[in-house]
Amino acid sequence: MADAWTLGTAGSVHPIDALNVDCAVDAINQVGFETCYHCGEALPASPVLLDVDGSVKGFCCEGCLAAAQWIRSSDLGDYYRLRSAAGARVDVELSDLAVWDRDDVLADHASPVTGGLEITLLTDGMRCAACAWLIDRALQRVDGVLDVGANAVTGRIRLAWDPARVPLSSVLERLTFLGYRPYLASGAVQEREKLADRRRWLLRLGIAGLGAMQTMMLSEALYLDVNHHMALYTRDFFRWVTFLVCTPVVFYAGWPFLLGAWREWRERHPGMDTLVAGSTLLAYLASAVETVRGGEHVWYDAAAMFVFLLLCARMLEQRARRIASSQVDALARARPALAVRERPDGTRESVPLTALQVGDVACMAAGEAVPADGVLLDEQAMFEEALLTGESHPVAKAQGAPVFAGTVCHETPARIEITRVGSATRLSQLTRLVEQAQAHRPPLARVADRVGSGFVVALLIASVAVFIGWRIHDPSRAFEVTLSLLVISCPCALSLAVPAALAASHGALARLGVLSLRAEGLDSLARATDIVFDKTGTLTRIDPSIGEVQTFGGMSADEALAIAAGLERDSGHPIAAAFASVLTLRTASGLRVHAGQGLSGRVNGAEWRLGRGPFAANQDDDGRLWLGDGTTAVARFTLEERMRAEARVAVNALRELGLRLHLASGDAYGAVERLTRQLDIDDAHARQSSEDKLALVRKLQAEGRVVAMVGDGLNDAPVLAGADVSLAMGEGASLAQRAADMVLTAPSLLRIPAAVQLARRTQRIIRQNFAWAVGYNVLALPLAVMGQVTPSLAALGMALSSLMVTANALRLMRVSVPESSP
Amino acid sequence: MIILLMLIPLSLMLLAVAIGSFVWAVRKGQFDDMETPAIDILREDRPFPPDAEHTEGRGHG
Repeated sequence: MADAWTLGTAGSVHPIDALNVDCAVDAINQVGFETCYHCGEALPASPVLLDVDGSVKGFCCEGCLAAAQWIRSSDLGDYYRLRSAAGARVDVELSDLAVWDRDDVLADHASPVTGGLEITLLTDGMRCAACAWLIDRALQRVDGVLDVGANAVTGRIRLAWDPARVPLSSVLERLTFLGYRPYLASGAVQEREKLADRRRWLLRLGIAGLGAMQTMMLSEALYLDVNHHMALYTRDFFRWVTFLVCTPVVFYAGWPFLLGAWREWRERHPGMDTLVAGSTLLAYLASAVETVRGGEHVWYDAAAMFVFLLLCARMLEQRARRIASSQVDALARARPALAVRERPDGTRESVPLTALQVGDVACMAAGEAVPADGVLLDEQAMFEEALLTGESHPVAKAQGAPVFAGTVCHETPARIEITRVGSATRLSQLTRLVEQAQAHRPPLARVADRVGSGFVVALLIASVAVFIGWRIHDPSRAFEVTLSLLVISCPCALSLAVPAALAASHGALARLGVLSLRAEGLDSLARATDIVFDKTGTLTRIDPSIGEVQTFGGMSADEALAIAAGLERDSGHPIAAAFASVLTLRTASGLRVHAGQGLSGRVNGAEWRLGRGPFAANQDDDGRLWLGDGTTAVARFTLEERMRAEARVAVNALRELGLRLHLASGDAYGAVERLTRQLDIDDAHARQSSEDKLALVRKLQAEGRVVAMVGDGLNDAPVLAGADVSLAMGEGASLAQRAADMVLTAPSLLRIPAAVQLARRTQRIIRQNFAWAVGYNVLALPLAVMGQVTPSLAALGMALSSLMVTANALRLMRVSVPESSP
Repeated sequence: MIILLMLIPLSLMLLAVAIGSFVWAVRKGQFDDMETPAIDILREDRPFPPDAEHTEGRGHG
């Protein structure tokens, strides 16, 4: 993140003429640290300038400038001091917010509160706590807003407003105006349910903590009475008080474990919860029996500490996963889904997606997604199908050609006649494939469960045997020895071994920029032997780069590039990104975009055209980019896909980790072939449909390999769901992210080898923890069976062994984040 | 040892107060957002400019 504070010249501002400033900005641009004051993106050739606190700051667009001016005039300038990340770019055209005022949207997502309605929104621009602060302050000043709560961690905004005084759209207008686009969260009911659930867990944790502390303190008094000087009635008084404090801990705080154990018993599958609930209840009930009998020992402290430690582990694990899933929700970007329908008389209306019927005519503006499958009505249009098929170039379609839902209309507006809606579209077929593939995942043996249920059964049998043995040998001590055995083998460490390690590594993964959505993913990633890559959008970037440059008529290639870059720079054209790396001092004036053809403008006093052959240089259209004056050509650019800068390093790192690499792409043979040569991948497949990719993964799995899949598109979603473990790119389609185990939020492939290494370390730590826990039990059990261990010593050993396991797991928190290349 | 008969109920009462206040805080939503309030102390409070009538909310919920 470039530092936006070193910009500008301190002191008074002289009226500098615009050209000079442009040159100055250009010169700085070449150094590469001149960025927009508000959003931190690179400045265009002619930035918008504003005098901020006596120094000139540049802005990338009017939207950012307006946002900054409003923030300053509202006395919220502290935002710029407090923030730790740049804001989000502000789109000058405010998107159509009227949708939010529709009654059906409000009915589904808002809930009545005193004085108005409340809604929870997601936004993708909240980067740090300062953003949350700014949103809070800015929205609270809108007349009619009752309450705002923005949470930067989960990216959610809770907004209560009075619909009688202000429509929701005008509140959201201010939000959009600051660069935060609102999206729909899941329904209000689910949001409230999530929050209530979190609070319940927190209450349990607090009560377990306070209760366990008191229980420990009171037990300590009993433990310290080694020589039994304490009067019996005092001892029993202490025990009854401990019983009182311990009861809510076991039955209220420990309720989730009791419930889980009940479920496991009903399913005839004893697991971790059975173990936890069983030991807790045994320690508690045995203590209660001893208290009534006036027996030798009580073990209330063991029960309370046990519940508390396990709740901590569960909370940690849950928290990591909740943050991950709420961020993915924010990536999913649900909006009130609308399509533009053309009425028979030619006028247009916005309708909800569900209202579209077969035979309707739908219209898309350039850059909008296609709402349903259909056939094209226009002469010609371009569609970006990269997410659906993996094809890297926009596809030109003629009248009558099929157009698919989920593809993006490119360059020109288009009209389609709808042929399939809802669940019949190709997109929905992919969604169904995802569900099927997920259902047929190779079953994963949960090592903890396996060990757990075996352990439980063995332990129960052993304690019955020990009890019978001691009954014969020395009836007075039988009960006490059996209890010691149960306490000492109380599988604290065993049940903490996995959750503690998982919680630590989920946290480390999140810092790496990998969100882990399913707990099993980490385990499979550690065992992966093969990794299958998608090409477009994964190993390569979706936006093109300039390959070959041919010039005609004596112009140098650099000159041609400079002119083209000057034209493209502020055009907002989809291919402008290809020229972003070309440094040029030229700026174009009189720029015009000719939809579907190219651009024209004046550079250095001459009229230029850049675009398709017939338009720019009177040549045949060969799919390349021509530069000319409309009649004669001076240059021809071949655009090709850009490999991600770090792809080679990442692929080599994965190879060193011992993974076999495969490439499966929906793109043509040539492009796949080129990339395979560049990256030196042995096994490549081109022209793969979703089903072909899935078959490839299934074939590998049948050979006994554990397959990891990395992809980004809709067409990868079924494969992502079918592979043993899958990673989706954060910039890709939301369906792909829902199907994957992990989502890469950092746009860097280097995070994949880092994640694999972390997964393997996690596995090692889990094994160490298991070894320790089992070793401790193997050592302590015979001693307990011999009657050599007092229950208090057993409880101490148990606590120490839990601490060991947790400390070992915390070693996973240390992780070095690989530098991502821009 | 008779003093224990007073001290222990006293500590139990304190425990009840602690748990009660914790429950109250959770119910009030004090723990819903652990990040944002941390930076609130860093800014200087100035009166709101009269850009719109400011409605007093509950602050961070």
